[in-house]
Amino acid sequence: MTAAQTQEQIIAKYPSLEGKVHIASDLRVWVDALPASEFEDLLAYVHDEMKYDFFHLVIGLDSGENLEFVYILSQWEAPADNEVLLLLKQYAPKSNPVIKSVSDRYANATWHERELVDLLGAIVEDLPPGLSYPLPDGWPEGNYPLRKDWKVEFFDPLTLTYNPPAPAEEKPEEGGAK
Amino acid sequence: MSKKVIVPIGPQHPALKEPACFSLTLEGEKVLSAVVGVGYNHRGLEKSCESRSYIQSLYIIERVCGICSHSHSTCFLQCAEELAGVEITRRAAYIRVLMGELERLHSHLLWLGVAAHLIGFDTLFCYAWRDRELVLDLLADLGGNRVNYGINTPGGVRRDVTPEQIQDILSTMDILDKQLAYYVELALGDTVLAARLANVGKLSKEECIHFGAVGPTARAAEVNYDIRKVGPTAAYAEIPFNVITDTHADVFGRTVVRVLEMVESVKMVRYAVANMPDGDILVKFPRKVPAGEVVSRYEAPRGEDVHYVKANGSEHPERVRVRAPSEANWHGMAHMIEGDYLADAPLIIAAIDPCYSCTDRAFVLNNNNTGEQQVFDWKQLRQYSIDFYKKEHGFDASKIKIAEKKHF
Amino acid sequence: MALSLFNILIFPGFLFLGVYSLAFEYIDRIIYARMQNRQGPPWFQPLADFLKLVGKETIIPEDADKNIFKALPIFAMAAVTAAFLYVPITGVNSLFPFEGDLIVVLYLLTIPTLTFFLAGWMSSSLYSTIGAVRAMTQLFSYEVPLFMALLAPAILAGTWSLSGIAAYYHANPLWILVNIPAFLVAIVAIQGKLERLPFDMPEAETELCAGTFTEYSGRLLAIFRMAIDAELVVVAAIVAAVFFPIFVANAWLGFLIFVIKTLVVAFILAIFRSVMARIRIEQMVIFCWKYLTPVALLQIVINIVIKGVL
Repeated sequence: MTAAQTQEQIIAKYPSLEGKVHIASDLRVWVDALPASEFEDLLAYVHDEMKYDFFHLVIGLDSGENLEFVYILSQWEAPADNEVLLLLKQYAPKSNPVIKSVSDRYANATWHERELVDLLGAIVEDLPPGLSYPLPDGWPEGNYPLRKDWKVEFFDPLTLTYNPPAPAEEKPEEGGAK
Repeated sequence: MSKKVIVPIGPQHPALKEPACFSLTLEGEKVLSAVVGVGYNHRGLEKSCESRSYIQSLYIIERVCGICSHSHSTCFLQCAEELAGVEITRRAAYIRVLMGELERLHSHLLWLGVAAHLIGFDTLFCYAWRDRELVLDLLADLGGNRVNYGINTPGGVRRDVTPEQIQDILSTMDILDKQLAYYVELALGDTVLAARLANVGKLSKEECIHFGAVGPTARAAEVNYDIRKVGPTAAYAEIPFNVITDTHADVFGRTVVRVLEMVESVKMVRYAVANMPDGDILVKFPRKVPAGEVVSRYEAPRGEDVHYVKANGSEHPERVRVRAPSEANWHGMAHMIEGDYLADAPLIIAAIDPCYSCTDRAFVLNNNNTGEQQVFDWKQLRQYSIDFYKKEHGFDASKIKIAEKKHF
Repeated sequence: MALSLFNILIFPGFLFLGVYSLAFEYIDRIIYARMQNRQGPPWFQPLADFLKLVGKETIIPEDADKNIFKALPIFAMAAVTAAFLYVPITGVNSLFPFEGDLIVVLYLLTIPTLTFFLAGWMSSSLYSTIGAVRAMTQLFSYEVPLFMALLAPAILAGTWSLSGIAAYYHANPLWILVNIPAFLVAIVAIQGKLERLPFDMPEAETELCAGTFTEYSGRLLAIFRMAIDAELVVVAAIVAAVFFPIFVANAWLGFLIFVIKTLVVAFILAIFRSVMARIRIEQMVIFCWKYLTPVALLQIVINIVIKGVL
């Protein structure tokens, strides 16, 4: 499936996405960020009907108010050259960053989603149980290193505490990304 | 031994040169279940890129992994250059391919040695690593360094290839050709090797899709998937080569794929050297990169390497995400180990050519007093461990004397 | 009495065995290294390793039985040294030959393997326990073919004494050609006995750290390593006595021939080690019972038939 076909098919199914599906450099189809509810629908369609069945990666972003998640998908039965990557996005507000795990459709998503939990503080529903990844045991609660307001210079790697300069912070363990 | 026992392999174990923990539940010698624990090496590299310029980030990205440093830096630059709208010259693209294929040769030879060592075949280990030295010498000559070559720079490459170096490359390739012919014969013909490698760590084509396996692991299961073909970058579209696949879908297949890939790489190096276009090697790269986001891929020796860079119009990238090939191959690991023998577990782990640093990425050490970044030297590291044990376990190790290192 | 003591303690007994084992380890390592295109260690490396280990701290696991844990290496060393006294060195005769010493030597050589098993089992560590079980499994696989391969020549010679066998084949050197299959079986089985590649599963470092010896350190480990080296010498000497029937009356010349013969065996063993990969324990059991044992059995049948015809 070429990039143009992918774009057409998505817009045909979801007319509301008109103008939100972009083609970049011929082999990348970007879909603008959607709220979690709409995203779930689109992902199901893309996986089940359009056969974008190979999951490469999910990337977590801190975009100020929201957390954004970029899912990179491709088709397994793609032509042997010029494979198209489909990049879907969803967002969730930082105050309540709940997303649904995609590991029921893509088994290899679990670890990448655990990384979202550890590094960005996302709450991933239906994530299969397992070890946390990649932060060490004893990492203080509420510290999400990839959030923009978490500064590495306030973190003490010897004691594993986060000490922001604000005078209001009394207990270092509770300091964090809020 | 009908009782079930749990054997930990790692975080420190002779078979693993880097930390990871595999808890294997054994019944006799058979592995019933495996739990994979990684993350011991997380170094927060992506975070540190966010506060650095593109060229500074490049050198951090290059240190994601010692073995496939060129793959990572190339992939990162592909993102940065696409964002900045810079197109590198054809000569630079060829030099990147040349380095990439030499790196593949050195990585696969390294893997062959490690795999041989794991099954106790130290003679093959010594041979493979001896030949790898030849490639490392070439890389040192071309890039200036044995491991982190540093040949990439935003907008092209840092060093040109001289005619003398080309002579060097060609003569080394002649030697490698002979050696590789021997390895091909060995991989395909040796009975003891086949007995140890065949039917070990099976991962079928369907399971490869399910677990998202990439690179030689997937290609050993008849998956015709090579980023150099499906999404060619640099000069890969112009250079003819065959994608090697195999039908065995086990460690034996992965060995065959890697060995035959080396033969292809030698051909590609020869082609790249013979057809290298003239011209500049560098174009100007802007200091500030316009806002946007790009995903780029590159076929590292271990498989598909994905980089994501988001720019915000400033000198620093907004977000960098590195998905190293090992990170994709971990998912099927527990499945591969289960049902096999304990004796095969290290081999299966090694067969994806795991790179723990790739998986976990970098963390910068901060001095807790001054906030300055620093590298711990030997003494400070020791002091740190003494303090740590005092605090955590109430055990004072400061009385233990160590000998001064006289010369180093 | 004094001569006997000298023979037991100095030459060709304990001290000579120690020095010769270190020399043997060096030869083994240098051949292995040269086969792998490496430089290899300097000549004093085995001694340096031994001294270094002796000087290191000995750590005994808390759960282990301290006395047995300490005694096991000495048992292993003692058994090997005792076996050495019955092997012909300077000539056809060993120090204290008697009818049946072949059997005694073979059983004495089983003791080190048993101590390895016990050492692993006593260490109460996971890796050593698995190593111990593997050592035992391995014992059951190679022991039968090894015994049969060494007993077959004895049947033809009509004696259970190593010195007697040596004397018989010295007198009838052509009969040794009959024993070539037994020789091949013995060489393979010895690799299992000495736990060397391709049969070094009990201490496969990439799977089990150091296997049975994981918990051993310091001088206890040094004695164990010495016992293993000495075992190599004893086994090589037995093979040389049984399968290479070249002896002379002169003691010094005889000793020189002994050195050459054992070096040939060491060379064969080192080559064997360097061209092989480690196989799995269940592959070894299958291999030993499916191929080695029938060949050894065939050898016994052949020798009995020949003996009957003669």
